[in-house]
Amino acid sequence: MESPTSRLLESATPISQGAEAKVFRAYLHPSLQRSSSELQSNASDIREPILLKYRFHKQYRHPTLDTTLTKARVAGEARAIIKCLRHGVNVPGIRMVDATEGVLGLEWIDGKTVRFLLGGGAEDEDEDETLEEGDEGQVVKEDPLKEYGVSQDDIMGMIGSEIAKMHSADIIHGDLTTSNMIVRHPTPPKGVQLVLIDFGLAYTSTLAEDKAVDLYVLERAFSSTHPASEPLFASVLSAYKEKMGKDWLSISKRLDDVRLRGRKRSMVG
Amino acid sequence: METFRYTHLPAAHAHAYVALFDHVSNAAHLRQRIVRASQLEGPEGDHEREAVNFAFVDARLITSILHLQTAIYQAILAKIQGSLRTKTVHSEILWALSPNNNITEAIKRFGVSDSTASLIVVRVGPPEMSDIEHRMKTLVSGDPLPLTDLTKLTDWFAVRKCYKLNADPALKAPGLSIAQQQLAAGEIVVSTVAMKSIAA
Ligand SMILES: Nc1ncnc2c1ncn2[C@@H]1O[C@H](COP(=O)(O)OP(=O)(O)O)[C@@H](O)[C@H]1O
Ligand SMILES: [Mg+2]
Repeated sequence: MESPTSRLLESATPISQGAEAKVFRAYLHPSLQRSSSELQSNASDIREPILLKYRFHKQYRHPTLDTTLTKARVAGEARAIIKCLRHGVNVPGIRMVDATEGVLGLEWIDGKTVRFLLGGGAEDEDEDETLEEGDEGQVVKEDPLKEYGVSQDDIMGMIGSEIAKMHSADIIHGDLTTSNMIVRHPTPPKGVQLVLIDFGLAYTSTLAEDKAVDLYVLERAFSSTHPASEPLFASVLSAYKEKMGKDWLSISKRLDDVRLRGRKRSMVG
Repeated sequence: METFRYTHLPAAHAHAYVALFDHVSNAAHLRQRIVRASQLEGPEGDHEREAVNFAFVDARLITSILHLQTAIYQAILAKIQGSLRTKTVHSEILWALSPNNNITEAIKRFGVSDSTASLIVVRVGPPEMSDIEHRMKTLVSGDPLPLTDLTKLTDWFAVRKCYKLNADPALKAPGLSIAQQQLAAGEIVVSTVAMKSIAA
């Protein structure tokens, strides 16, 4: 018999595929069957999609080990998320878990990745594709930020402050890139927000070193994906610094060390 | 009564029938009946068990329809996968709702108690359980309400205490309105229920 979760995945729309997981958009719960006073079309409006993150089987791994590892990863991601939620870090809520099948269901964040908003394009698009070149039928879009009512610098500030909240809770993200951040569309009730996603590599640590490496990974992501926005990274750090208060000093020192090591490594390699 | 229909689930557990009652006047009797049904033997026992074969949930502790749906869904999944922690899919709903692993405590806190005034009744089963609404209404003496009225009955003070939200920085951030606090609390609560099967 086919499992409920694989049947759910079959009904889902693929969003992206990474090395570890396939990501889908799906509907989990049915819409409420309302009394006849409400139109059916109205009822379907209240259905909210969810995101399904499916960690597929690795052929090269022993099946039992594979299942155990997959379960642990799903659980790890969920635990990092609930910890973030309790600490007021903006992350997607958890909607369903089927660890045996390697599936984590999350709140669907209606918005755009920071990568997209900074002109880095969707992940699988060409980097140099510019919006002005809109093909036939494709409307030339204005600055997508306008719709969100925020400036690039605002976003940088939001990123810095969200990471600071996360680090204050001793959560290390492990994969901070501009694809792993979504700016939530400014619709009620939550409004415009910077939401951190993809806690697949997250872990807990109190060490300034680990927090510094987290920041360094993001700094590198900025310079490779958004060379033009690189100066803006300073705004990320200043918002981070403000929120971290006295903890900033030791992290800042470590960040300098990490940068130095990074540079040496690239000179050697 | 509302029906949640899950088209991707096997027919035997594809539907959840859910009714909400306020001003419930027979909670104590209902609780006794549930206890007695579990002890009775023979055909009479089977009959009584079927009569109370529902999840009875204290509506005060439920923050949204999604909260309830999340518990129901995870319970059905466990039932289908053969990984129930409790005896039935209905007791599993109470277990899923509870923030800790103690089954007795889950039933005591989230189930029906002598003082329960507002009650959610859930039955998981196949499509076409035509008399189910009637059976719920004979079982519970109270005013039936549309499920969308659920949030009017939420006791946020009790929710915060039960899910231990009072110490959470998410709710203590300065300048949060009551609505924002409830939004944050609701998100933590739903997420806690969703991940219950893998909570440490
Ligand atoms: N909760 C979400 N809501 C909406 N889109 C999301 C959500 N989570 C992820 N995405 C989209 O799916 C992509 C991949 O998800 P992610 O969790 O980062 O998986 P991966 O580990 O494969 O990178 C993201 O870059 C983003 O565009
Ligand atoms: Mg990612």
